[in-house]
Amino acid sequence: MEGRPMFSLHKTRGGVHPPQCKDMRDFACASITPPERVLIPMNMHIGAPASPVVNEGDHVYVGTLIGEVSGLGSPIHASISGTVSRVATEKLPTGATAPVVEIVSDGKMEPDPSLSSPTYSNKEEFIACVRDSGMVGLGGASFPTWFKMRAPEGKSFEYLVVNGMECEPYITSDYRQMMEHSERVIDGVFRAIEALEIPAAVIGVEDNKPEAVHELRRVVREKGHAERIEVMEIPTKYPAGGEKVLIKATTGRDVPAGGLPIDVGCLVVNVTTISRVEQYFRYGMPLTCKTVTVTGDCIANPGNYRIPLGMSVRDVIDATGGMVKEPRKIIMGGPMMGRTITDIDCPIIKANNAIVVLHDSAVLPDETACIRCGRCVRACPLSLEPFALDAASRGHDAVALDELAVMNCMECGSCAYVCPAHRRITASIREGKAVYRGEVARLTAPSEKKEA
Amino acid sequence: MNLINEASPHFHGKGSTQWIMGMVCLSLLPTLVASVFLYGLGAPLLVLVCVATALVTEHACCALMHRESTAGDLSCVVTAMLFAFTLPADCAYPPAILGTVFAIAVVKMLFGGIGCNFANPAVAARVLIMLALPVALGSYPDIMGRPLDAVTGATPLAMNAAGQEPYSYVDMMFGLHAGALGETCIITLLAGYIFLLVLRVVDAWATAPFIATVAVVTLIAGQDPVYQILSGGIALGAFYMATDYTTTPMTAKGKVVFGVGCGLITALVRLFASAPEGVAFSILFMNMFTPLIDRLTRPQPAGGAKHALI
Repeated sequence: MEGRPMFSLHKTRGGVHPPQCKDMRDFACASITPPERVLIPMNMHIGAPASPVVNEGDHVYVGTLIGEVSGLGSPIHASISGTVSRVATEKLPTGATAPVVEIVSDGKMEPDPSLSSPTYSNKEEFIACVRDSGMVGLGGASFPTWFKMRAPEGKSFEYLVVNGMECEPYITSDYRQMMEHSERVIDGVFRAIEALEIPAAVIGVEDNKPEAVHELRRVVREKGHAERIEVMEIPTKYPAGGEKVLIKATTGRDVPAGGLPIDVGCLVVNVTTISRVEQYFRYGMPLTCKTVTVTGDCIANPGNYRIPLGMSVRDVIDATGGMVKEPRKIIMGGPMMGRTITDIDCPIIKANNAIVVLHDSAVLPDETACIRCGRCVRACPLSLEPFALDAASRGHDAVALDELAVMNCMECGSCAYVCPAHRRITASIREGKAVYRGEVARLTAPSEKKEA
Repeated sequence: MNLINEASPHFHGKGSTQWIMGMVCLSLLPTLVASVFLYGLGAPLLVLVCVATALVTEHACCALMHRESTAGDLSCVVTAMLFAFTLPADCAYPPAILGTVFAIAVVKMLFGGIGCNFANPAVAARVLIMLALPVALGSYPDIMGRPLDAVTGATPLAMNAAGQEPYSYVDMMFGLHAGALGETCIITLLAGYIFLLVLRVVDAWATAPFIATVAVVTLIAGQDPVYQILSGGIALGAFYMATDYTTTPMTAKGKVVFGVGCGLITALVRLFASAPEGVAFSILFMNMFTPLIDRLTRPQPAGGAKHALI
């Protein structure tokens, strides 16, 4: 028997309906031939880069700790077994400079024999375990999971909001996780709310994935968790999976500007993250591989693949069967928020959940003048005025940017998507944020000097 | 391998300015066809002259400014059609051409081209001709096939002002009376507007309050509100000019304010001013308030805002 639902669906503002392109949804997650070498960057998370704890020549197994952090950050583990061939700080193919660890495979993919399922007896130990698992927000945010599980003094979590929305086009890795590991997902959610003393959890899933909703609900029922865990079907609309938008839809609460989900009593965790945390508690294997949707019109055999961290995009594409067209654009992530790479030797990092390789739809139409049609204002899920932010950003007008609440923007891309003038509004707002930050820094710096 | 490096989003919707303007032109075609039946072949010829003038003017302005020509986005075609629609079908070409050049070169291009004009170019041109060359607009040809004694007909509003017997509602709906070539046939204007509503090119946030305000104010003043709504330029103004993107407010709230303002001014001009018609004035007037309305009706950001500089 199921009682009254704990959560009710709340209306969210704005949003757009890009083509979904989720053709890979029914392709079960497949393994690929492990690469001969991986290049693991130490900056795969929000926070300071990890420091390598291995030396050249060391032998490592799958799951061996190779990078450790202090403070905000997440430890990093070897994704293949073999020999550490290089430890250096260098310019990565992404352009950033960070420490890297290169491992040459011994071809065995041997798990670290010292790994065992961790135990904990209280909240602090649980969070420490999550930290050791190397888990970060796998939806793409890459914020260290353990860090956000610590509620600051005087605040507590009322809800665990699990993000199974996957609203970006093309990506189906979370969907595969929910379909193939539904029990692990629910066990993980239950473990988290038990350990963190959160009264209730809601798993938000877009209604374009009814099978996942059905499957998760079945497991919740069978495990007798219906009192504490609810699976909510949420209308498909990009960016319904944005953290703030999902909190609004499930709890009706608005995260205050500059605030965090904890300010409205929420802990938001991606569905794959929670599933992989549970995997760590069961087997002790930390985060060493990612399910990545490899797709786009250039890919010969698109699908969902389990890929060791640090494997290069080139190796991934080759291992899946190569390309059928000359690629013009490679997007790490979905087309709405993903980043393009210009170097095909970029390594796969923790936050990657898709590689979209495009030829046909790679070139976007040229920008024309804003006609003030207001489509961007209607599309903005956060009630901002993108057209005005665009103008203020291009004019480097920091005061106007402040008035228009530029820092509220989550860069979801809805405004640029609907713009009939094809203005690069999101890109321009991103630059506007830098202008704004610069101006704030300029104004605060001299006053501090005076005080000193 | 030469890979494109650019910021997200990498998907853009299929819409374009040209498509939007094209749809507006398409939605005006039924009214253009109706004008042929009502006023003869002179009507489409006049429209053609205005459209050609607008295209040449915009192209020339862009060439003068060493900019890529924007004539192809069809926005100037919309302007020219709307302006021509406010003219009598037998209007001489020189004032029509003058008005079009003024609309495109002065009101639009001098202020920065598409998206930057402070007033609706078609309305501004209409007001210019009305004030500078009143003779050109002074007489409206009656519809074809009427008895010969009424070659130059009185418009319903002029008749109303003179206390003459009004037309029937049906005559008003189908434009069976004297008037500007594209203003009288309400039924085709409405069809075009609904077409644009369905395509979501326009909305009713300004249109509905505009019409409702005229109805309410004229009703209070003891006039027949239906007759008022069906006469003059209200249909063309409320459907096509109060929905112009550039010169009307951005948000629903702002559009309502704009629409009520237009309706109020239109009704007051009709009731108390010496001019029989006030639609063009009301829209031009409210255009001037658009930046202020936009500022006062700015949406509240979700979750509030933290300001460090103001």
